Amino acid sequence: MKKVKIGRAVCTIAVVLISLYLLQKLLMPKYVTDVIEGALIAEYYEEEKDHDVIFIGDCEVYENFSPNVLWDEYGINSYIRGSAQQLIWQSYYLLEDTLRYEKPEVVVFNVLAMKYNEPQKEAYNRMTLEGMKWSMSKVKSIQASMTKEEHFLDYVFPILRYHSRWSELTADDLKYMFRTKKVSHNGYYMRVDVKPAENVPGGKVLADYQFGDNAYDYLDKITQLCKENDIQLILIKAPSLYPYWYDEWEQQMEDYAEENNLMYINFLKLIEETGLDFSTDTYDGGLHLNLSGAEKITRYFGQVLKEEVGLSDRRDEQELVLRWQEKQKFYEQDRDEQLEALQNNQ
Amino acid sequence: MKKINMKKANVIVVTGMILAMLTGCGQSENVISGEVNNSTNLSQKEENAGQSQNQNQNENQSQNQNQNQESKAENAASESYKGYAFISKDVVIEMDAEAAPIIEALGEPLSYFEAASCAFEGLDKIYTYSGFEINTYPGKDKDYISSVILKDDSVTTVEGVAIGDSREKLEQVYGTECTVEENLMIYEKDDMKLRFIVKDGVIEAIEYVSNVL
Repeated sequence: MKKVKIGRAVCTIAVVLISLYLLQKLLMPKYVTDVIEGALIAEYYEEEKDHDVIFIGDCEVYENFSPNVLWDEYGINSYIRGSAQQLIWQSYYLLEDTLRYEKPEVVVFNVLAMKYNEPQKEAYNRMTLEGMKWSMSKVKSIQASMTKEEHFLDYVFPILRYHSRWSELTADDLKYMFRTKKVSHNGYYMRVDVKPAENVPGGKVLADYQFGDNAYDYLDKITQLCKENDIQLILIKAPSLYPYWYDEWEQQMEDYAEENNLMYINFLKLIEETGLDFSTDTYDGGLHLNLSGAEKITRYFGQVLKEEVGLSDRRDEQELVLRWQEKQKFYEQDRDEQLEALQNNQ
Repeated sequence: MKKINMKKANVIVVTGMILAMLTGCGQSENVISGEVNNSTNLSQKEENAGQSQNQNQNENQSQNQNQNQESKAENAASESYKGYAFISKDVVIEMDAEAAPIIEALGEPLSYFEAASCAFEGLDKIYTYSGFEINTYPGKDKDYISSVILKDDSVTTVEGVAIGDSREKLEQVYGTECTVEENLMIYEKDDMKLRFIVKDGVIEAIEYVSNVL
């Protein structure tokens, strides 16, 4: 009799837990058709992990560099672990997370994130953190990222946060409940449309141009982690015209790179060398590059990785070649579909 | 009988839990879907503008400026705005106010720039006029004022303070009750901030900023 009671109790608990799990799966945003940037971080875990180069950072990496070009023209296998407004501590913990799976030769970090010294917005936090697999790195990243209004438990049980999404559910929430579709090209978010850069505002006067202590602490941690793992860290500033990149910020990054013996490339100073044309190479007026712009600066960067860093060409590795053939197909298909959609809209 | 009641109670509790999860009592999720709460709880009535008006008149400014100022300050005193408002061509610009009527009243800007926020739909827009710049943020269907940034000394605050004025004048007009962070002096009122960047005793920048963002 007692066994029956225990059995019933266990069954009831199991039914409740499974129901809650399914509800959570249903209610969580899928980031498949809208705001696809929210799907970028999780996609990495589906990859074969033997990359030569890992990019970490905000939209200035995942919208401005094309791993397909690095492979196609230099035989360099790379991946972008980028997400919208990725804060520097999130980049650090994503790097820690990445090192659980692989040890790249080069890590590239975009320094725009230095402008943020404290947590910013929950919506962006969610897009970076929810895609991470559970580990101590994720726990620490959540703790470092939460705004005052956020609660750690809401990350552990996202249903607590998304419970009222039931009224916004669409067919996609059901369709992609357990498996979502691929949205990026090794972390690169492709856009082929063109919107020329015009009237880009200059920087407003700031009270203080000094990057914050917290931001520097995490930059030190990234530098240290790379050194400990014998990884070459390259700092970059992508050529986005907005938000404004101040001379005072540039000086701090140049000084930091020199003090720590790091390579630092500011693509804003290489517009001519990379061949960027902001009347054709951006899709949103100078904030992010379109495919044409991303391919141009990646081509330049590939040359740096090959000649100055000495990364070798892996296009003689058959397995890797086959893997990239598939990726290239998806890349071309995405490009062609976007171009066709643009033509149809004209 | 007792067993049946217990079972019923369990079913009710579990159902209640799931319904509570679904219909929920948590915080607003606007931020998650990329929308921004527009907290336009218009507005507590303030008189600070009127108080500072008298102090302004003591300043040695040109006659024209003074007259202009007085008229603006009279407006500021007689009308009631949300927080500190900026006025240009008799158009009152309050933080979190709907942008479209203001932009229409101000006329064609010198330049216009729009920035899509990373990932989310909607655009942050920047309208540049002579001497100042208006920034907006997207709401559900409309844009709202997020900040006004004064660019040079051709414009002043309603209370008569301009870029290039001294810290003494600033404190005379707005008082000393403010938050001071390094070079920044912040006057808060009605869910907005009026920020002055003061370096070496001189005002270098003036910004009206919404607290919403």
